[in-house]
This record gives sequence, structure tokens and C-alpha cells, in this order.
Amino acid sequence: MSEMKKIKNLKEFSTSADRFEGANLLCPGCAHSIIVREVLNATNDDLVLAASTGCLEVCTAVYPYTSWDASWIHIGFENSSTAISGAEAMYKALKTKGRLKQPDRNPKFVAFGGDGASYDIGFQWISGCMERNHDMMYVVLDNEVYANTGGQRSSSTPIGASATTTPAGSISYGETRNKKDMMGIMAAHNIPYAAQVAPNKWKDMVKKIQKGFATEGAVFINAVSPCTTEWKFDPKDTMMLADLATDSLVFPLYEIIDGHELNITYRPKNVVPVEEYLAAQGRFKHLFKDEYKYLIKEWQERVDANWAYLNRREEARV
Amino acid sequence: MANTGWDEFEIGAMLRTFDGAIEDIAGTRQEDRNYSPNSSFTASVADWRIEKPIFNKDYCIDCQFCWIYCPDVSIISRDKKMIGVDMDHCKGCGICVEVCPTNPKSLLMFPELADEETEIASWPTKEEKEK
Repeated sequence: MSEMKKIKNLKEFSTSADRFEGANLLCPGCAHSIIVREVLNATNDDLVLAASTGCLEVCTAVYPYTSWDASWIHIGFENSSTAISGAEAMYKALKTKGRLKQPDRNPKFVAFGGDGASYDIGFQWISGCMERNHDMMYVVLDNEVYANTGGQRSSSTPIGASATTTPAGSISYGETRNKKDMMGIMAAHNIPYAAQVAPNKWKDMVKKIQKGFATEGAVFINAVSPCTTEWKFDPKDTMMLADLATDSLVFPLYEIIDGHELNITYRPKNVVPVEEYLAAQGRFKHLFKDEYKYLIKEWQERVDANWAYLNRREEARV
Repeated sequence: MANTGWDEFEIGAMLRTFDGAIEDIAGTRQEDRNYSPNSSFTASVADWRIEKPIFNKDYCIDCQFCWIYCPDVSIISRDKKMIGVDMDHCKGCGICVEVCPTNPKSLLMFPELADEETEIASWPTKEEKEK
């Protein structure tokens, strides 16, 4: 094993040489690239990367340009996870046979996917990779919508959000189904490590990513990625939205080790009401009309119940 | 490769980010890399901007919040010091200004055509907290 990169503070972290380039075509203020940079900069080892179709893929590989300074595979909507698991299996086979040219390089295998590619389209493939326990990391950039194709709802879209296929209006309040508990599902594969991260808590995130890289076996990371275009807020407010998401406990930060050992890694000092998180986004604007106000109350109850559930699980170690 | 049209490239094409090999990419800074014309580093998105950030180093405390939260790798930090903004790759989103903790801020947004020296000369002064 190669040595872990030492990152004690942000100044030390800022000496990293980025392996992701600017002049990609992601929207100004997109959180995707912030997450990608934090993941790539967490290690000095070689990287083998893939991205499922989605904002990240189409914006960072617009012919004739590529924004990646590492081996990166452009692949279909569903199979970035399987492409990386295949690369990892091949690497392992060549290593066993002693046919690697540089056997000491110890590359890391990482696949990126949006929530559409992970929660819906590539679900079966990811499940397979997790079940086979490949030595890889799968990172979901969870912006709760198919942002690349024009804002259709995905199974990650939460209740009340207005998406182009679940528009809010006089008859509907938008999405009616609750967000899929992807973390729970992935942890149920009994994988060695699963974690939920947010780009604004960079230290927590880098710690989890490094833990994931050090883990032998499949690692699942769910990262909240505020989407300025589809969540409808000003590009400069991306980090504020991420702060609201973590501090209102809509996106609690926790990790699950071996499918049962749950640790909550961030407890906000001042918990923000969910109403503030909803009010900051245009996609929830209609919830503040009188006839839909009861949904805000339900939101708060749901978030509180989920937080209580996580705390109980942390205590019970099951 | 870079001059081939969108319908001319072969299936299974491979784009190379660098001309020649780089042995230790994670230890090589951008200015020392030999980018090929296929790297988006050689492109520019400067024309996306309506507003641009201007950096006033007098107030900077090198906390590096702007570096970590910049989505476009446009904050140039060397040896733990913030030294400027990469204007070829900055899209003008304004996140760096929002996360800047100093008072007054050491990064502020100005119209694209604003003159850097004039704006730095008339930089806002420290804001007193309301009691």
C-alpha cells in the first residue's frame, strides 16, 4: 500500500496539484466539480476514473477537449460502475500474473455518476459491483434531478419539488414520492464502507474519501450537489445551500461500516429549520402558498424522524 | 486530433491530455505540465462572465476557502498562498466572494469591464458590526 496523503488543514490541502481542469462546460457555480476536486485531491496515487452519462460526463468531455488529467473512460448511462469494476478486475489479474509494467503504482479506481445514473438507470449495475465487492469507489453526485436532460424527476427527487415531469401547479404540488434511501440500500449489501458527504464540509469529506481509498473492497459515497439550474438559486449561493442542507439535517453526514456500524460524523451546533432550506430554492417556491403549507410541516417531521432513526442506529450498532 | 471535426473522429478515439509522459502528475503543478491542445486547460470560458472577481491581496489571510470551493480550478494557490484568479477559466459564479471570511472581503465582484487598479484603490473599508 502506498502512503496516505497527509491533509491536516486547508493550507496544506491547497498545495495539491489539481487533476481536473477548468474550461469544462459545467454551469457557473456547479457543485459537481467542487466534489470531484475534493475527491481527486484526497490522494496522490494514480487514478482510473469513469463517469456515467450526466452533467459531469457531457460537460467535461466535449470533443475535442477533455478536462481530466487521469485515465478516464467515457461510457454509457448505466455502466460507469461496471467499467471501473472491469478495469479493477483486469488490474488484479495482471498483478497476480506479474505482468504489470509498474506494479508499485497502486492506482485507485473511482466511478462517478449522477443521481439519475445511480438511483435509477445504473442501479442494478452498481448493486452488482457492490455485491461482488470490487476494490473500487462509487461516488454519486446527488442533485436530485436529471439536470443534464432538462430537469426530469428521478427517484432521488424529494416530495414537493417541482421538476419538468412533475410540475407544480393548480392540481399538483410537484413530486409526490419520497426520496429513495440509497445509503440504506447500499449498506444492506454489507459493503465495507458507505458514507454520505457534502462539499461544504471538506474536512469530513476528505477524511471519508481517504478512508474509502484505504478500504479494500467496494466503497459507496453519496455526495449532495446543489444544482443552481434545477434547484433554482443564484450561482454564488451554492455553498450556502450545501450549508443549509447539512445544518437542517436534510442531508445528515454519516458513514456505515460493514453494513451495520453507523457513525454520525457531523452534528450541527445550531440546527436550521427545514423551512429555511426549502425557502432558499425556487423548486419549492409553491410550498409557501397557503394550500401547500402543510407539506413544510410534514417535511420537518420527516427530517426529524430520519435523524432520530440514524441516532438510534448509531447507538444500537445494527 | 484537435483540428478534426466533430463527425470525423474515429470510434474509440482517445484524447491525450499531455504531450509526452508525465511521471508524477499529482506532484506537477499546472505551469509545469505540457498540456496538449486536447486539454480543456488550453480553452477559455472567459466570455461566459458578466461579472469578474477582483482580488485585493492586502486583506487576504490565505485561508484557502476560495481555493477549495472554486468549481473551475480558477483560484491560483502556490506554497499555501493565494496569488490570484485564473481569468481564462473563471466563469464568474461568485462563490469565492461569498465564502471569503475577511472584513472587508479580499475578493469582490465587479462588472467585467471594470479596471482592477481603480477598484482596488477605492476598495470598501471595514464594516462595523451592528450592536
